[in-house]
Amino acid sequence: MRFTDQFRFVRQNMKKNKTRLFMTVLATAMGCTFLIVLASVGFGLQKSIVEDMVGDRMVTAIDIYGVESNNEVDRVIDADNIEYLRTVDHVKAVTYRNYVQQALNPMIDGQAVGSNATVNVDFAAESKAGFGLSAGRLPQEPREVIVGFNIRQTPQQSGAAGGDTPPADAPPAKEWLGKIMELKVKQLGEDGKERTMKLPVTIVGISEQPSREWQTDSNVYIGNEILTELEAFTGTQWGAMLLPEDSGNQNAEQPPGLQDPRQFNQVQVIADGANRVKGISEEIREKGYMSHSIASELKQINLVFTIMKIGLGFVGTIAVLIASIGIFNTMTMAVTERSQDIGIMKAIGAHPSAIRRIFLLESSLIGLLGAVIGTVVAYVISIVVNIGLPIAIEAFMEEQVPDDFVFSFIPPYLAVIACLISLGVALLSGSRPAKRATRIDVLSALRRDI
Amino acid sequence: MIEMLRINHQFAIGKKGKERVVPVLHDIDLHVREGEIVAIVGRSGSGKSTLLNLMSGYIRPTSGEIRVAGQSVTSLSEGEWANFRLARLGFMFQSFQLIPSMTAFENAELPLVLKGLGVSERRKRVMELLEQVGIADYAGHYPGELSGGQQQRVSVARSLMLNPPIVLADEPTGSLDSDNERQLLALIQHLNQDKGTTFVLITHDEQVASIAHRTVNLKDGYLLNAYGKGDNPAHEVH
Repeated sequence: MRFTDQFRFVRQNMKKNKTRLFMTVLATAMGCTFLIVLASVGFGLQKSIVEDMVGDRMVTAIDIYGVESNNEVDRVIDADNIEYLRTVDHVKAVTYRNYVQQALNPMIDGQAVGSNATVNVDFAAESKAGFGLSAGRLPQEPREVIVGFNIRQTPQQSGAAGGDTPPADAPPAKEWLGKIMELKVKQLGEDGKERTMKLPVTIVGISEQPSREWQTDSNVYIGNEILTELEAFTGTQWGAMLLPEDSGNQNAEQPPGLQDPRQFNQVQVIADGANRVKGISEEIREKGYMSHSIASELKQINLVFTIMKIGLGFVGTIAVLIASIGIFNTMTMAVTERSQDIGIMKAIGAHPSAIRRIFLLESSLIGLLGAVIGTVVAYVISIVVNIGLPIAIEAFMEEQVPDDFVFSFIPPYLAVIACLISLGVALLSGSRPAKRATRIDVLSALRRDI
Repeated sequence: MIEMLRINHQFAIGKKGKERVVPVLHDIDLHVREGEIVAIVGRSGSGKSTLLNLMSGYIRPTSGEIRVAGQSVTSLSEGEWANFRLARLGFMFQSFQLIPSMTAFENAELPLVLKGLGVSERRKRVMELLEQVGIADYAGHYPGELSGGQQQRVSVARSLMLNPPIVLADEPTGSLDSDNERQLLALIQHLNQDKGTTFVLITHDEQVASIAHRTVNLKDGYLLNAYGKGDNPAHEVH
């Protein structure tokens, strides 16, 4: 018997009792909607919370904040440590951020620039790690720099960004691309007088906008070549100024010189994949490095959310199972009503498996119809919840919901899984009535005494 | 064509645990030859319908063996019996046994659908046979809209749809008027002579029995005699 003929039989049968069919499909659709919406809350919260956590941090990054040697924690990461970290398998790059220890008073077109700090980075490593740029490119020549996205905001504007009032509009930093910025490096001479070196550099890139509203980036990022020039002038690490001999502070130490061991700050190891983070973390931990990665933090949180989603999905599946009682009832009624027809078909040579297939097809069609309708309704509910709930919370609870917060999120695979569950449950519910249909006694059916 | 060897059959009736066994057929030996029309006659309760149901595979004998076209069918599974019925047997019923929710066309088409034939081939074959039995004009009508004679014609068209070598008919004229009965008997004779179709007919009607090459008489589950046309019916063969 062809599938198209089975389908025709099913369609004819379904037309016989439209109200019963409608109610059964409705129950299945409600069960499916309940399952999807419930699980979507777990997905939505996970998405919002995890995305908020990850923010601008890379999931492949491992923060190194110390190394243990001789059972003592040494928080200083030196050049040897950096070299070692670069040799670990699956490490794509090792980055650091070192602040220049003096304000360089950058000037553009004779105007002072409101820079927060000057930061030394390894641009070769940053290009591998993926330094986020909003405009321009990474430096390729020695005297090229990158400036922060918010460098043209005045301190007042920057301060306002974190306050109650919105930040005033500042001209875009990308207008400064190609401009010459003058950095002034100072150091005390042997005679105790301040000497100055002017260091003209070219702006070739603008960093990307910080992901959080309250964050600003007004730094000037310089490469190792500029740092070397700068340190050659100051004679100290990170361009620190010497303390005047008559400062009066007896305990004060002069900053480390160029021959002293160098200290690196904000060291990050970048793995070549999120799945490598765990292995790298374990390997460097054995060597005494103290590390922290967003991936390990996410693992714990994702575990909690996975358990939550399974729990919600389980509760939702109960709703689908309840709907399956309706399908079972409908199919049992259908078999009883059509027992004479089944008997006639068997009498002239219908194979039991063909009869079983017809009834299984009918129950699976009910399940599929309910699942599709239920999925569409679930998407609608999800949209309404995401729009309506923040408004309701703000109106009645006087709480502010973050702009991008998602209460309900339905990934495509959730809809597919819910449809498969509905279909499976429908097939399961229809299997017993279908089996019963194959067992109908021909003679009883022909005598119409069933 | 059909061989029934030492067939015994009994029914268990009554509630479970308190069943009573009622013997229906006793040591039946019956041979139906290819191209033969055999009429099985007997009073009500003599076991003739049970005999036909055994040939159809709707029930299984308590003991004995049934062979159809040289193949033992006694131990066929339900699925095998279904395939066997579809391929080799045609059925005519006293109460026509048409599916009420299907049109005459769809009812007649049913064996072809079960066989898995294509739509165009089915349409051609069904219309040919409905034309042959004189019901083509009513192809789109439901059984409830047809007379008894018309319904039986649809049933006959359905039984012949796959050109079965054997047709089993249980009181085929039982619900027909004399005109329709005559036409149906003429069709049976025509098919028998033209295509060599074997017919086993159960009937009370002497006129139906008169077209048979052989008449088998059953009484209380015993085969009393089997006699051909012109034979003396009093000759007992058991």
